[in-house]
Amino acid sequence: MTTATFDMPVGAQKSFGTAGVAVALLLPIALVNAIGFILPVLNLARMSFNEALPGGGIAEALTAANWTGLLHDSFYIELITNSIVVSLGITLATLLVSYPIALYLHRASGAWRTFLTVLVISPLLTSAVVRTYGWIALLAEQGPVANVIASMGFQPPRMMFNTTGVVIGLTEILMPYMILSLMAGFGRLDPKVEEAARTLGATPFRTFWRVILPLTLPGIALGCLLCFVLAISSFITPKLMGGGRVFLLATEIYDQAIVTLNWPLAATLSMLVLIIFGAALAVYSRILRMIEG
Amino acid sequence: MMFARLSIAVSALTIAAVTSAPAETVTLTAYSGIFQEHYTKAVIEPFMKKYPDITVQFYGMPNSAQMLGTLRAQKSSPQIDVAILDVSVAKAGTDEGLFDKVDESVSPNVKDLYPNAHAEGVAGVGVTFDNLVIIYNTDQVKAAPTSWDALWDKQYEGKVIIQAAPDIQGTTFTIISNKLAGGGDYKTDVSAGIAKIGELAPGVQTWDPKPDVYAPIANGQAALGIGWNARAQIYSQTSGGKLGVALPKEGSGFQINTINLVKNAPAGDAAKKFIDYALSPEAQAAFTSEMFYAPTNSKTVIAQDALKRTAADDMDKMIDIDWLAVAKVRDGITEQWRRRIIPLSR
Repeated sequence: MTTATFDMPVGAQKSFGTAGVAVALLLPIALVNAIGFILPVLNLARMSFNEALPGGGIAEALTAANWTGLLHDSFYIELITNSIVVSLGITLATLLVSYPIALYLHRASGAWRTFLTVLVISPLLTSAVVRTYGWIALLAEQGPVANVIASMGFQPPRMMFNTTGVVIGLTEILMPYMILSLMAGFGRLDPKVEEAARTLGATPFRTFWRVILPLTLPGIALGCLLCFVLAISSFITPKLMGGGRVFLLATEIYDQAIVTLNWPLAATLSMLVLIIFGAALAVYSRILRMIEG
Repeated sequence: MMFARLSIAVSALTIAAVTSAPAETVTLTAYSGIFQEHYTKAVIEPFMKKYPDITVQFYGMPNSAQMLGTLRAQKSSPQIDVAILDVSVAKAGTDEGLFDKVDESVSPNVKDLYPNAHAEGVAGVGVTFDNLVIIYNTDQVKAAPTSWDALWDKQYEGKVIIQAAPDIQGTTFTIISNKLAGGGDYKTDVSAGIAKIGELAPGVQTWDPKPDVYAPIANGQAALGIGWNARAQIYSQTSGGKLGVALPKEGSGFQINTINLVKNAPAGDAAKKFIDYALSPEAQAAFTSEMFYAPTNSKTVIAQDALKRTAADDMDKMIDIDWLAVAKVRDGITEQWRRRIIPLSR
């Protein structure tokens, strides 16, 4: 690869102040963000303090009833913990199945690597709805997976319309994101370091545990953050594969907003998801500091 | 050549402008999908033939809640003139001042409507009646079920699909089950019905069938379920008889769609004309023959074979559901589903 140099013409550098250029460049996206994200979020925050009337009406109010109600209701406490636990489980499962693939991809080279990378990314070209329906067909009661298990002499477990189905479906759907994040974080993994460890007498397991794993931690942290956030906000797969048994934040927001028309509660739950995002980001940056430091 | 073509076009435009009065457009929102398809054919097209200077634009949405959301967002400058949506959602819209009253000044047909078509505190009036039915896969269920008890039959365990509350299929089913279990007034206590559905819960395959309840039954993924009569009748035809429809002997409950006039509707009188037509015996009969919703106009005359596919003959067995009272207890019903029914099926 050749290194391209990109120097601004001297005259141009003089006529623009650096700060001015930065502001001018940031302004459009800041505006788009303000109109497309900040305003709606503020609107949502306001809605979460309104009062819901029976039958779907909304009364303008300034009440914390939605928030306190949420924290005093055992159903919602279970729903929130369930969402977090299931999303963490999905993140862990995604990491475990993606890590070897990412490591292999990192070590591959040339056309083979390109081919494999395209293979990994290609599921993203298909919508999650289609892939979820694919899983529904695979995991159905008399589907291929159940048949394979049955042919081995086991009673096939229920894999559809429950948490198992949601975890399997989402794990596969999130794999490309995890693999890409891991690969992006594998930059520091120099094959020479591994070779050095091996020549110095480390077993393959020890090399992995003491050399490879620590060096790939930034990639792992990034992949986990991304997958957790995507898992907890995912809607289509839990809706299609949960069979109405799996109560998660995203599906509940949909039910409250669209079916029961309780917009204030839906807004409160949406704000809660935002708070969980914030917490996940905070944990991520702490972990990152620990790794780097 | 070019000039000749242009002048023809110009004169054509001039003629068009002179001969037709400025065309008015009525924008109607109602359910998308098969409702839209059949309503357009049975009601909208004949209406436009009758009133050539009015165009009706159908703006389909998947459910009543979305229609309410859109109407809310457009409150200050409405784009929609007429909305057909579920009665309990119409009540919420009325409370928020989104609709004008539909009375005899809007349509003389209002006086001929069945009493159930009028709901206290709802600006619109009933335009279609539908009822809950058992739907079944005719390959897996050989004899048409005659009673709701078929759902509790152990041989169909794991093959039953039910759309849970808060969806109104689940709510209606709760009220029916409450009656089957000998429970009291559904407005105060449905615990008997909840306990009865709880017995059914372990055998339920999914509480949230996708894309709807009809497809999994028609393709054999499930054997039995509950659904709305009108749609089930249509899917029974389109599935080549794979999906069967049965109105159980114990009766059922009604779902009511109301037609509502949006406040400050841009189409003005044309919108009222459309509502009047939609409530007329002529339009009601056409839509019943087309999609098997029962008519709300008592003067409607319907062919026997179409009538047989509605609940019109079994009116006396129907539970008179007061949807506005149900709206007040719906949250409680949903809560009981989530705590006392669905956990039993995990």
